[in-house]
Amino acid sequence: MSAARSRHLRTVAGQFALGIGALLLWEWGSRSGVLDKFFFSRPSDVMARVWQWIATGSIWGHLSTTFVEAALSLAIGGACGVVAGFVLARVPLLAALLDPYIRIANALPRVVLAPVFLLWFGLGIWSKVALGVTVVFFVVFFNTYRGVRDVDRVILDNARMLGASERQLIVHVLVPSALTWIFSSLHVSVGLAIIAVVVAEYMGAARGIGYLIAQAEGVFDTTGVFAGVTVLALGVLLVGSGVNRLERRLLGWKQARTGSGSAELV
Amino acid sequence: MGPPHPPLARAVALEHVSRQFSGYTAVEDISFDVAAGHFVSLVGPSGCGKSTVLNIIAGLLAPSAGVVKVFEQPLAGINRRASYMFQDEALLPWKTVLGNIQLGLTFRGRVGPDALDQARAWIDRVGLTGFADRYPSQLSGGMRKRVAMAQAWIVQPDLILMDEPFGALDVHTRLRMESEILGIWGESQSTVVFVTHDLEEAISLSDEVLLLSAGPGSRVVGRYDVDLPRPRDLMDIKTEPRFHELFRGIWSDLRQEVLKSHERSA
Repeated sequence: MSAARSRHLRTVAGQFALGIGALLLWEWGSRSGVLDKFFFSRPSDVMARVWQWIATGSIWGHLSTTFVEAALSLAIGGACGVVAGFVLARVPLLAALLDPYIRIANALPRVVLAPVFLLWFGLGIWSKVALGVTVVFFVVFFNTYRGVRDVDRVILDNARMLGASERQLIVHVLVPSALTWIFSSLHVSVGLAIIAVVVAEYMGAARGIGYLIAQAEGVFDTTGVFAGVTVLALGVLLVGSGVNRLERRLLGWKQARTGSGSAELV
Repeated sequence: MGPPHPPLARAVALEHVSRQFSGYTAVEDISFDVAAGHFVSLVGPSGCGKSTVLNIIAGLLAPSAGVVKVFEQPLAGINRRASYMFQDEALLPWKTVLGNIQLGLTFRGRVGPDALDQARAWIDRVGLTGFADRYPSQLSGGMRKRVAMAQAWIVQPDLILMDEPFGALDVHTRLRMESEILGIWGESQSTVVFVTHDLEEAISLSDEVLLLSAGPGSRVVGRYDVDLPRPRDLMDIKTEPRFHELFRGIWSDLRQEVLKSHERSA
């Protein structure tokens, strides 16, 4: 126990050392002139900028805009994906009819839709949410579809033999099975939602982290770009650990896949 | 529980039942009866269609030809008077031991303190006291089988179908589970149809052994009464002379079928 604990502490210390080492190398590089400060900025400047944003409070509006957009994408895209996945899994004829179109739609790089949504929904949050929805929808849809279709045959038969009606099969077997798939893809959905809204903001917005980064880039302010990236990364990390906790709670029956699962963060 | 049946009423009757799977005939023109209250085993070489026969009695498979009667009623759809213990894992992984055991009652609309008490009583009865809140993934294989046993028996079915339920267990656990099954069955008035390839298991548990011929197109080629007294001590039964007599008698026939099935698969 204590051996494992000290090994864990050593790993964490190593992780910190690695990160700080890389930052120091970067700092040293830009100070000594190996890295051009104009293109690469330097960690101390980036930190100072982030701190300035926090101190003046100017960052919160952007950050909350981005995360509200991502949350709306997740909610709308997720709800549509669950319903569509369920219906198509239960109505094979419909699934067969729509199959080629779903494939085409999913193969389309969604980013190219961002300008279209910008035209349709304007500069506000809804053009970002629209792009996020198109991304989240497919992840949730495919997982729901698979979760409902891939229910273990024996488990279904067992529930039937125990007297389950069609409705009870859905409530007690199909929905929990689909939920397993949906929740285990939550990391992916959350990550993609954030990427999508940031990209959409980058293309045209009045608020948000993507907008902040685009603004900084427009005036060749590399420090601003890196500061924006840093804030975004911290925010995503925070959300990711929240998702982890949620997953552990909802999928507790899966015998806690021990290990922090930090590698699969978004 | 259903109304009491007069002794030797027919719990199950198969009349000229056949079943094809896309061109392959699994069972052909099978006819046999199972007397109510009896413990009947189906034995035969692997791939002889034992499980097919059981699934037909369960109503999970429809026969391609012939009639299945359950307590003299022609069977259509799921057999509502039967429970099924599967060979593979069939518990709902997202429900606790308690939830799984209660499932049959839940499906019949029996929820509330009464059903809960009954489920708790079954937890004690199968020796899982203290494990009510565990999930199947947190139990050993033997414990999961105990849950499956309680799950099948809690609805007090007239008929219990078992498809090599203990095949995956080690010899000692298996012996204990077999004794417990006999104990529970002895206190009930249920009829059991038990599928196994293990002749010793079939003889030590059953009132009657039915021998199926090697597939494809297998049929009943032998019917043997097991006149060993009850209650039986499974620890000692295999050393009794009468057991050996019965074993030799059935084995000489089973052996031929096993050899045939080897020739066909070679």
